Amino acid sequence: MNDVSMSRVELLDASTAPLSAQQFFSGGDPGPIVAALATVPELLVPALGFVGSALGAGAIGVRAKELAILRTSALQGCTYCIHAHTAVSLDVGLSPDEVRALRGELPLEDGFPSARERALIGWIDALAGATGPVPDDVWTEARDHWAAHDLVEISVTVGATMFLNRFATGFQLPTATHVLERLQAEGMA
Amino acid sequence: MTDVEERIAHGPIADAVRSGVLPGRVWLYSNYHCNLACSYCLTESSPRSERRELTAEQMIAIAEQSKDLGFTGVGITGGEPFLLPWLTDTVLDMVEFLPVLLLNNGTLFAGDRLERAARLAHPDIALQISLDSHLADINDMARGPENFAKVVASVPRLIERGVRVRIATTTGGPLDSSHLDPLRALVASWGVPPDDHIVRPIVRRGRADEFGLGVQAIARDIPSELCITADGAFWGSFGPTVSNGRLDTDLLLTRTILPVSVPANALLAAISGMPEGADATLGIR
Repeated sequence: MNDVSMSRVELLDASTAPLSAQQFFSGGDPGPIVAALATVPELLVPALGFVGSALGAGAIGVRAKELAILRTSALQGCTYCIHAHTAVSLDVGLSPDEVRALRGELPLEDGFPSARERALIGWIDALAGATGPVPDDVWTEARDHWAAHDLVEISVTVGATMFLNRFATGFQLPTATHVLERLQAEGMA
Repeated sequence: MTDVEERIAHGPIADAVRSGVLPGRVWLYSNYHCNLACSYCLTESSPRSERRELTAEQMIAIAEQSKDLGFTGVGITGGEPFLLPWLTDTVLDMVEFLPVLLLNNGTLFAGDRLERAARLAHPDIALQISLDSHLADINDMARGPENFAKVVASVPRLIERGVRVRIATTTGGPLDSSHLDPLRALVASWGVPPDDHIVRPIVRRGRADEFGLGVQAIARDIPSELCITADGAFWGSFGPTVSNGRLDTDLLLTRTILPVSVPANALLAAISGMPEGADATLGIR
């Protein structure tokens, strides 16, 4: 269960969720992002459709997607998303050092010796960790290792993650207790 | 046929209304505050309630757009709509587009207010006034002191001025009970036709739920009329209820109310796939 007292916005549950949102509550607590979005039901399905596609399985692979999601969340300082995607990243096979490097707790080179992955992270950093134009050398380095469509896909993932980052941070959405307990047990909270 | 009329004739909302899939009337909660505090009120309305008003401009736009989409009428409820000083003018603007059914408690028709309401004498405007018993003490137990006296004084005055009046009776008992016969006779004595005397059950939402009154109803039991409030659009006029001071969101369709096509299409989507309900057998209307 989420600690609803922490959230700035009401988190709906199965008894208060609108008709069009009920499908997301039938299997239990869908989490605070759905519970908050359900207060504006006409946005819930399209927003989840976009986020689900952008963050879910894609052509570029789950590892690259999690690099983008966790790195973006760390750059944006979103506690909720860092917690959630630290757990997901570990589940999909990232090592603890890779996770720490993405979170900025270790030098990037220590976690990612591969130039290909560092080029991708450079592109992610330029999108999510800066404003204004993206330097040509970042683009060139990324293109040396990745197809243009790969970078389009990862950029959509970064954008969707930034939406979630600001949404979760603005409304102070609470990390699920079981996620927090797991991360504490693994020294990753 | 103009381009607009052609489009309406083949629009999904118009088709759904024509085929009976979607009820033709769009409901508006003009406001939530009320001079009464009835025991079974769906919205916990009272003089202290947050007003949560639609604006006159919104109400007129809803009527106009509802007509364009293919709806066939609008209903106004609250709260007590006649607490809004601009209501009469707004209703007269709305009826330019669609027939208007205006629910009210019939207690605010003294002096200038009566003459203002008399301007609503129009073939496409009906005032639906609540009256629950032919006995003053029984009626007033749920609706408040002197309610019966004010209503039985107001109805003939309105009718004399050419205003079409319907009566709505909300009951916790059987809808066909013979106990209602004296009330039916009283209503008939005013010249109100039997079809304009609506008898309906208390629905267990809002304050009625707090007191354990009325029939339990879920979405498919409630007529699937589009209902628009300042807080969003809902499934049915029994949707935007208030419980313990909090708006119920279980029947919320959209927070967007204009353009009306947004909530109307959301309602149509919600109806598709919904199994047949018990609205007919429960008599909820």
